[in-house]
Formats: sequence, C-alpha cells, structure tokens
Amino acid sequence: MILLDRVTKTYNKRGSALKSINLHVEPKEFVVIVGQSGAGKSTLLKLLTREEKPSSGKIIVGGIDYSTLKDRKIPYLRRKIGVVFQDFKLLPNKTVFENVAFALEIVGMSNKEIQHTIPKVLEIVGLTGKENSYPSELSGGERQRVAIARAVVRQPKILIADEPTGNLDPKHAWDVIAVLEKINRFGTTVLLTTHNQEIVQKLRRRVVTIQDGQIVSDKAGGRYRR
Amino acid sequence: MKRKLITLRRILIAGIKNFVRNSWLSIAAIAVMVVSIIIILSSIVMNVATQNTISELSKNIKIAVYFLPDTEEDQIFQLKKEFESDSRVAEVTYISSEKAQSDFIESNKTDQKTLQGLALIGADSLPASLQVSVSDLTLINSVADLARQDKYKDYIEDLNVGKQDVQRTIDDATTAQKFITRASIIAASIFVGVSILIIFNTIRMAIFTRQEEIRTEKLLGATRSYIKGPFLVESAIYGIISGIIGSSIVLATVRVISYKDFAYTKDYFSDPKIMALCVLGSILFGILVGYISSSLAIRKYLRLKRW
Repeated sequence: MILLDRVTKTYNKRGSALKSINLHVEPKEFVVIVGQSGAGKSTLLKLLTREEKPSSGKIIVGGIDYSTLKDRKIPYLRRKIGVVFQDFKLLPNKTVFENVAFALEIVGMSNKEIQHTIPKVLEIVGLTGKENSYPSELSGGERQRVAIARAVVRQPKILIADEPTGNLDPKHAWDVIAVLEKINRFGTTVLLTTHNQEIVQKLRRRVVTIQDGQIVSDKAGGRYRR
Repeated sequence: MKRKLITLRRILIAGIKNFVRNSWLSIAAIAVMVVSIIIILSSIVMNVATQNTISELSKNIKIAVYFLPDTEEDQIFQLKKEFESDSRVAEVTYISSEKAQSDFIESNKTDQKTLQGLALIGADSLPASLQVSVSDLTLINSVADLARQDKYKDYIEDLNVGKQDVQRTIDDATTAQKFITRASIIAASIFVGVSILIIFNTIRMAIFTRQEEIRTEKLLGATRSYIKGPFLVESAIYGIISGIIGSSIVLATVRVISYKDFAYTKDYFSDPKIMALCVLGSILFGILVGYISSSLAIRKYLRLKRW
C-alpha cells in the first residue's frame, strides 16, 4: 500500500529532515510512527500527502509512483488519502455537517448523495445529533472526530493522522484512537504519529520509531522506545 | 458531466459568498471601476457628438464649379464625368442655369425685392454649376485641381472651394475631438490601473483571510480551478456590477441633456441596440479588468504552483 525506498528530504536551511528512509506498509495495516519533535515524522507525512517532494528516493502509494505524478494529478491522489491534523483544521464558520460535506463537495458529489452519506459517517465517529453544531461548540475530542469523519467520508484507502491526540485530554484522546481503530477494522490503512507513550503501549500495533531523520526501530506489536 | 456542473454551481455560490463577505472592500473596488467605465463611456459619447458636429458641418463644404453662360452642356458633363471617376469624390450634382434660377426663386419666394432684382438682371444670370462633395475633407483642394486644368479654364467662371469659416470650425472640432480622445485614454488608463490595484488588493486580502481554508481545501483534494474559481467569480461580480452602474449613469446623463446640438447624440444613444451594446461592453470590460487583477493576485499569493 505504501512504499518508501531510500527517501531523503533535505531542506536548504534545516539540513536533512529524512535520511534514506525505507518503509513498507501493507494494506489494512495500522502503523504508529513515534519520535521526538523534529525527528522527521511530519516531514514523512507531508511526503505522503505530496505537500513536499523528496530530495531523492522513491515513493509509491496505492500503486501511484510519485516520481511520475504530474502536479495537476495531485488533487486526485489526495482524494485517495484521508488526513487528520493535530489542530483539526475545521472551518469555524461551518457546522459539523458542512465541514464533513466540504470534502464531498470538492469532488462534485450531489447534495442528495451528501445528505445520504454524512449521517452514516457521523454515526461511525459517534457524532450523531451534532450535525448542526459549530466547531466552537464542541469539545476537542469531538472536533477531532469531525476531522476524522471529514477524512474518511470519501472512504480513502489510507488515513494519515498527524498527532491527532496532541491537543486532547486522555479520555478524549482514547475516544479518537478508538475511532481510528474502528476505521482500520473497516479495511483502511492507518498511519498514526503520536508522542503519547501510553497510547503506543496499549495499542500493541506496529511501531516505527524515527530519530534524527532515520528509522531506528520498526517492530510489530511494538512499544515506545525512549 | 453532472459532477462538473455541480462543481461549477458551487464555485459560483462560493464566489458570491466571498463577494458578500468582503462587502466593504468590494464597494471600494466597484466605485473605482465605475469611475473608469464612466470616463471611457463619456469619451465615446463625446466622440460621437463631435463626430456628428463635424459631419454636419462637412455637409456645407463642397466644391462649386460655376460655368460661363455660353458653355455647352457636353463640356460641363466632361468635367462631371472626370469628377465622378475620381475615388476621392463622394457625389457630383449638376445644376443647370434654369434649375439654379428656379431654386433661387423657391428659396426667396417671400422676398419680393430679391425676386425683382433677379428679374432686372435677366433670367439667365445664374450660371450652371457642378456641386462636388468629397469623401475626405482634407482632400478637397486636390480634388478641386481637376477643375483647374487648362482644358477647362475657358469654360469656368468661378471655382469655390468650401467656406473658410466652416473649415476652421471643423478643424477646431477635430482638434477638440483628438484632445478629448487623448485625455480620455490617459484618464481611463490611470483609473483602470487604480481599479486593477484595488481589486488585486481585495483578492489578496481574501486569499490571506482564507489561507488556512485554502490549505485544507488543497489537502482534501480540491483542484486548482475549484480553489481559484471563487476568486475569479468574485472579481467578475465587481465587473458586472460596475459595468451596469457605470453604463447606466452615462446613458441616463445623455438622456437628460436637452442641448439642441446634442439631439443627434441623444437619439443615437437612445437606440436600444446601442444602449445594449454600451451596457454589455461595459460589463465585459469590467469582467476583463477584474479577471486580470484577480489572476495577478492569485498567481502571486495563492501559490497554486506549489502543492
């Protein structure tokens, strides 16, 4: 599903963010990526969403080789990848329903299809009844679940969650992780980056540890390595 | 196809929402563009008015060739033929001595003293003539040279080329027309430039305030046209509203002017076809200015090249 072959990303000012990374993620896998701030986790995710181009190496996601991907095709790639951010990136002037609908409007889905699809996805993330609430009226956990609903409403094959629990208290953090696990059980490949040791220990999933731009550990059912 | 239409509808709605959201900036952008359109349309109106004045005056400028009393008609027709075969000549009219006299009597029928004077000097006192009008007034003297040829000098009593005072008025009107056109081009260019800057700034502000939203749109898979479409729609709305307001102000002003010599211009711009052309032209011009300025802002600030 995801293949990174000797991927290096170098910034002019900061130097190397990633150094010859090799990573292979199978379909339907749940991979936790851990590492200190500045280790290269976010750069890795930005490469996968094609916000950044690698300085060298090869990236293939869902059979799409990024080295041959034309700029105008990037939007269509992103439609196959769901992304969840630490700061939610919800539109404050739109309701929960409208925020989720936004992802479907972009692809030209009709209002009728949107009305039909959204209640289902809100049910999956446990937000039934909150359709007309604005982000400011929701708790952090609820906001993140709206962001997850928006990311998965198009049923992407891959879900990338960049520190989704970073701004949440433990209870809400676990709510979000539970939703991600549920989505993974439906067959979506999940890539989760986190700082939260407790989540990593309890999840018992594959853990990839990045340090100074290199993968220093990759263990199935792994634990947080300090 | 259906999805494309749905997307187009959403882009239009988003553009209208942007326009409403930026209402104060929008008003400033529209106001300047209205001024630009008023200047341009006013220049067109003034050009039509001066052009009409010139053409009215031009009708009075003709070459008049008066023939000696014993000139044969064949000889007159020889010159007439020569004038007619010249591409610079618009029209040649032959007025015989009898016709000149009857025209004179007709135009002076209420003036008994003049008619008595004509009777005293004799019925054949008014000469036959050729009245020649030219297509371009600047060529009138060179056309008159046809009648100045040696072969005609024995038949021609007098050659009258235009009226000097009318010619001078025409020259003045032409100079005024040129000045109006140049001044309008300069003023319109300045205001169009200001319009472009203001719309550019309005769109730039809109892009800055929506920066996070745009980034989210990009990451959710929005295409370039989906992201930039609403900004183009917003600037097109400026153009449409400015075009309607600007052209309405100018056309309404033309209608209320009751100056006698302006009657032709007033009638000209009251023609529904011309009115529609002015409104549509203004709208298209406004859309073009809006498109140029928003495209510049999008290119500079939306950073669509970097995904």
